[in-house]
Amino acid sequence: MSDRLLKVNAYTTLDLVDATARGHDFENEALAVLNVTAPRENPDHVTLQLELDNAQLDSLPAHADEVTLSATEARTLADALYSYADDVADATER
Amino acid sequence: MPTDVENWKSAVYGNEIREHLFRFAAEGYDAIPDDERDAWFERFKWWGLYHQRNGQEGYFMMRIGTPNGVLEPGQLRVVGEIANEYATGPGRNPIFGDAYADFTTRQSIQLHWIELSDVPAIFEKLEANGLSTQQACGDSWRNIVGNPVAGKDGQEVIDAWPVIRELNETFKGDDDHSNLPRKWKVSVTGSADGSGQGDINDLAFEPAYKAIDGEDVVGFNVRVGGGLARNEPRFARDIDVWVRPENVPAVAGGLSALFRDNGDREDRYNARIKFLVDEWGAEKVRETLQEEYVDFELHTAGRDVREEYTYNTGEGERNDLVGVHEQRDGKHFVGLNVLVGRMGADDVLELADLADEYGSGEVRLSQRQNVIVTDVPEADLEDFLAEPLLEHYSPDPSPFMRGSVACTGTEFCSLSIVETKNRQVRFARWLKENVGLPDDVEEFHIHLSGCTASCAQPQIADVSLRGMKTRKNGEAVEALDVGLGGGLGEEPQFARWVTQRVPADEAPGAIANLIDSFAAEREAGESFRAFVDRHDDEALDAFVEPEETDYEDPMLHNTKMTWYPYAEEDAMDAAPPAPADD
Repeated sequence: MSDRLLKVNAYTTLDLVDATARGHDFENEALAVLNVTAPRENPDHVTLQLELDNAQLDSLPAHADEVTLSATEARTLADALYSYADDVADATER
Repeated sequence: MPTDVENWKSAVYGNEIREHLFRFAAEGYDAIPDDERDAWFERFKWWGLYHQRNGQEGYFMMRIGTPNGVLEPGQLRVVGEIANEYATGPGRNPIFGDAYADFTTRQSIQLHWIELSDVPAIFEKLEANGLSTQQACGDSWRNIVGNPVAGKDGQEVIDAWPVIRELNETFKGDDDHSNLPRKWKVSVTGSADGSGQGDINDLAFEPAYKAIDGEDVVGFNVRVGGGLARNEPRFARDIDVWVRPENVPAVAGGLSALFRDNGDREDRYNARIKFLVDEWGAEKVRETLQEEYVDFELHTAGRDVREEYTYNTGEGERNDLVGVHEQRDGKHFVGLNVLVGRMGADDVLELADLADEYGSGEVRLSQRQNVIVTDVPEADLEDFLAEPLLEHYSPDPSPFMRGSVACTGTEFCSLSIVETKNRQVRFARWLKENVGLPDDVEEFHIHLSGCTASCAQPQIADVSLRGMKTRKNGEAVEALDVGLGGGLGEEPQFARWVTQRVPADEAPGAIANLIDSFAAEREAGESFRAFVDRHDDEALDAFVEPEETDYEDPMLHNTKMTWYPYAEEDAMDAAPPAPADD
């Protein structure tokens, strides 16, 4: 097993989420680290990072995935997250 | 583009921060404008002050840099008195009480709950007694480390203490070296035991012999670019340079200037010199040093003594400096185990008295967070060892007590995600009561770090524990990633991470099971590190086997969300206000 690729400290967005790596012929469920960040200086993009615990990955090597988002894309994503979060919250309250 | 931190440093940095610090101390914490707090807190680090974490507004950690861990006669008492008078706050630690001092893995001292208004008085007292917080943190020459018993050690190749003292005097407060791209950690070791831990420093001087004009001259080999942080650990790289003791300041200053001029000031994550060495290679570092930063011909590396290194190696004698050891002059130094490096202020004062009574009054600090009383004559040893204080700070502790190192953790630190010091105390006590090592294994190092910053040096322990979270019975709980088999020595090696997210309350059971497997399956005389080395990750993960036991962990909940983990009302909204000016 390799060391984690993402650093994990109190500034990490979510240090404990459920995740699944899915392929045509495999499916690995794992705990994961999910982080959102931007360059500290002159930020010109937002980075979304996801690393599934590599101890739980049988079908894939240790890795982290990163998505680079423009400010507009990050807002679109945030809006979608808010919207679905509302749906989930509403459904839970019912 | 330079970073925010670089811009703040360009405006005010180095010695001049002191006058601002004193101004804020006089005007009150609230006089720091809200929008300037990040900048001022960053600058205060240069004078050894770190603002404590969220929920502890207006309180600071103060680091006192003691070069090579040397506390001259009387200085330990000063530390104890300051801890008693100033290092108390609204939170009370259930194990260590109200006032305590922390001895760190870089041979420094940390005090907590310091208020800004008290800083001038504390500085006055420290400086009147030859102590300082200058450059204890921040982007410059940090506290220089080495074999703490330099100058006294019977196993010494060369006395590094005069060299360290000269480096400290030259580069503390030197404006040419006060604003580096990032921290600059230097180790100078003169003993053959490797106790200066040079391999994990930005710059390391290690004892070595060089044949010059037919004579073996003792000096130092130079290594550059070690460090543990950021999931990017590196051992310092050999740059093929040997240096005479008198030329160490020129070479150290040359390398510090090389770093100042060539380090990355645009990305702090990439700023440490280890990344420059990655990019350039050791050869280019040497060439640039020779061509641009020193005005004499550098020697190639000499014959080192690395094969004799024992400190933190996981086997052999003298993995630490705990216990009674003979000095060169026939007196003794006595290494006392300070579990997780923390000592109550009253105990600090009592130890200062004992050091006066039985030794020269001097004490020294090791990189394993322990304290060493020096200069004890043979005739006084027995009485000293019978002192009641040494029942707690033992020269002959359980392997689990002497092997424990822990960082600050969520009690005060902004980065940590788990509680550390008290947890490591509980772990060590439980392991001592419940787990036996094979008879011939006398040391077993367990390092607990609260996050990937690696302040407890987790990668160079037999068992490395690093803060994480997991879910247990549907609840998020504090957890630990587990690494195995790290250590220093001739061929240093970082721990291999084998098991992720062990719930903290199952970690002692996991270590017990691991040790059971080690005891059952080791070859005769095999060290734990060698045992780890010959197994693959899967086998090691199986040995770890987390398990609930009668160990109870009262801090399983998410302590980073509290204002103080041990407070009765610990929620963030119960946090005390910033201390009033007085």
